[in-house]
Amino acid sequence: MLVAAQGGQPQAPARPTVVLEGREIAVPVVLAGNGPTFGLTPLAEALGGTLSTDASGESVSLKIADKEVVIGQGNAIITVGDAIVSLSQPPAQGEGGLQVPLDFLRKTFGDLLGYSFDWRPETQRLTIARRGTRDLPVSLDVVHLQGMTTIVLSFPEEPRYKLNRQGNLIQVQMLGDRLTPPAPKDLQDPLVQGVTIDPAQIRLQLAEGAQAESYVLEKPFRLVFDVHRTSAVEVPASPNAAPERLAGIHTIVIDPGHGGVEVGAIGPSGIQEKELTLQLARELEAKLSQRLGVRVVLTRTEDALVSLDMRPAIANQNKADLFISIHLNSSLGSGAYGTETYFLSPQATDTRASTSAAAENREGAGNTATTSDAAGNPVNPANPADDTQDLQLILWDLAQTHHMSESQRFANMIQGELNEMLKLKDRGVKQAPFRVLMGATMPAVLVELGFISNPDEEKKLKDVAYREQLVDALSRAVAHYKALVENQPETPAVPGAPAGPGAAPQATPSPAAGTPAPAPRGAPPPARSLAPRPVGTPAPGVKPPPAKGHPA
Amino acid sequence: MSRRAASFILGFALALLVGGGLWWWLSGRPGAGRGRGAAGIVAKPGKPVSFQLYFPADGGTLKPEPRDLQVSDSPKDRIHKILDALLVGPRTAGLVGPFPAGVVVGGVLLGQNGTAYVDLRWPNHEEPPPSGSTEEIQRVYSVVDSVTLNVPQAQRLVLLWNGVQRETFSGHLDLSRPLVPDRLPDRNASR
Repeated sequence: MLVAAQGGQPQAPARPTVVLEGREIAVPVVLAGNGPTFGLTPLAEALGGTLSTDASGESVSLKIADKEVVIGQGNAIITVGDAIVSLSQPPAQGEGGLQVPLDFLRKTFGDLLGYSFDWRPETQRLTIARRGTRDLPVSLDVVHLQGMTTIVLSFPEEPRYKLNRQGNLIQVQMLGDRLTPPAPKDLQDPLVQGVTIDPAQIRLQLAEGAQAESYVLEKPFRLVFDVHRTSAVEVPASPNAAPERLAGIHTIVIDPGHGGVEVGAIGPSGIQEKELTLQLARELEAKLSQRLGVRVVLTRTEDALVSLDMRPAIANQNKADLFISIHLNSSLGSGAYGTETYFLSPQATDTRASTSAAAENREGAGNTATTSDAAGNPVNPANPADDTQDLQLILWDLAQTHHMSESQRFANMIQGELNEMLKLKDRGVKQAPFRVLMGATMPAVLVELGFISNPDEEKKLKDVAYREQLVDALSRAVAHYKALVENQPETPAVPGAPAGPGAAPQATPSPAAGTPAPAPRGAPPPARSLAPRPVGTPAPGVKPPPAKGHPA
Repeated sequence: MSRRAASFILGFALALLVGGGLWWWLSGRPGAGRGRGAAGIVAKPGKPVSFQLYFPADGGTLKPEPRDLQVSDSPKDRIHKILDALLVGPRTAGLVGPFPAGVVVGGVLLGQNGTAYVDLRWPNHEEPPPSGSTEEIQRVYSVVDSVTLNVPQAQRLVLLWNGVQRETFSGHLDLSRPLVPDRLPDRNASR
């Protein structure tokens, strides 16, 4: 198309150009309705990226600064390292290899190498420049809890850095940015000998026999190191260890599943899971208070949406000794009925860094990483509104791995009681990566008390007398577990209650059966092997699950 | 009939003939449109390969259904075809489709570290269908197992819904990280 210039002479439209540091480079540009796209191959050559194509020729991998960017033609979603990034428009094959939009360049070369991309539609010029050296303040937080030290380095924006490891020394070397070190801290930690920060680098000196894994959290950007012993040797108790709970079962948190706009399963008659779980939780609260004299806290007392991370946070905040999440089930296909009890799958704890990172990144901006004081005092149990929730989540996730054996034992007792009292179909004790169980720092289970998708069970679940039986079975299981933990004979408050812990029938052949009585609550956690293990293998101290998911 | 009118009719008939032929050539000829995936990529010629697709079954379980699919050697193409077939639904009585009608594969990515990213889209539905835990497990693991147990290059899977990675589908399973299969592969499965 020609446009009229001021002098009345026709003038060719401006040719799209790409200028890098003041010098024009040959990059094919396509101008489309939804924004310009640029040829990736010449840009990668000019900016410093390595392109390769997979065997099928369908996916393109772009390596930038040790990170892999995976691009699928025609797919507006790419991955940058572990992050999933949505683009304004999908990359498409064209002149100069893949044609990529402006936000692709900003989220890859821009974020990873510090380039700025300024597109001016009026001149059809893309100006690429390296951002100047930034002065980045960094803050340091160190927490030691349950045998692991977590070091958090917080930055106002993502620094350009390179990680080097040499023996017990980890170096975070800045690439073009300058650090403003925080005030010096007196660090006394059994696993970290020292942390020094100067404008060019951060040096972490680990203790002999310690090793670290690193990962990042975003919004704000944090570089996190989990430091632990190489072997399963128990570290000396830190003077900053978390306050211990009293031994025994004193506080129980009941979590009525779902709520608010999240209705859960819906029965054939239209009844919603969230209504019944709240009724069951209230009934169980009354029964436990009356029977065992324990303090009972509900994660919700009305039809309200409570996030899955908030629910175990409430249990932690209340220093609960047991966490019971109550749910009702539904299935695809017909014929499913009965009860089942879940504890956390070990798979869920293997990638806790990525779990926490993903959770963090959704929390949005505004969080700060102030997680401990200068002496490395541990974070307090959750104040859900507290900005320190992020690191706490990480620590809770770690903590649940210490309680999986106990969670399994308690789950077995629940299934045993449900079988004994109600003669229901026993679907067994199972494991799954349920998010609501991940953050609990106490034995935690999710019990499914029947299928409301099954018309017969739905009808029964609407009956108060039937729910009374379910609640009674749950309270008996809690009583058995309490007696076992406190190593004392159980008080039979209900006529006909089994005489003691051994009377609890096992729902399934329990790997936990016959194992010694659990340590009192509040006792130091057992030493655990922190050697990396493949995803899906059982966590240390946890035998293979009796049933997993939904056996075909 | 005037000469002018005759020329007009002749011209019109000619245009109709050319247009029809063109239409036939573009859309009606044998093989037209084949081998073109949702992403607009021309796949290499396929061959029939046997897979095991995992469908929800009675009793709250998943059961495998053998299925021969025409696929290329590309792992991404295989994942796409497997999911397309899974979403269309089972052929065996007693099995059901994992997702409501209308759910489609929005995109597939496969990283070199063995993580597959699958984006499921359900037009006009922001949220996945509400469900209990077993139903959610059936849905999610029908995808995870069908992909990871059939395509060796995909060892774990991240599930997106309408282009977004969610905390969970229906309030139970944690979907903020890659999932691995919850069963061992069927020994009879061929690839």
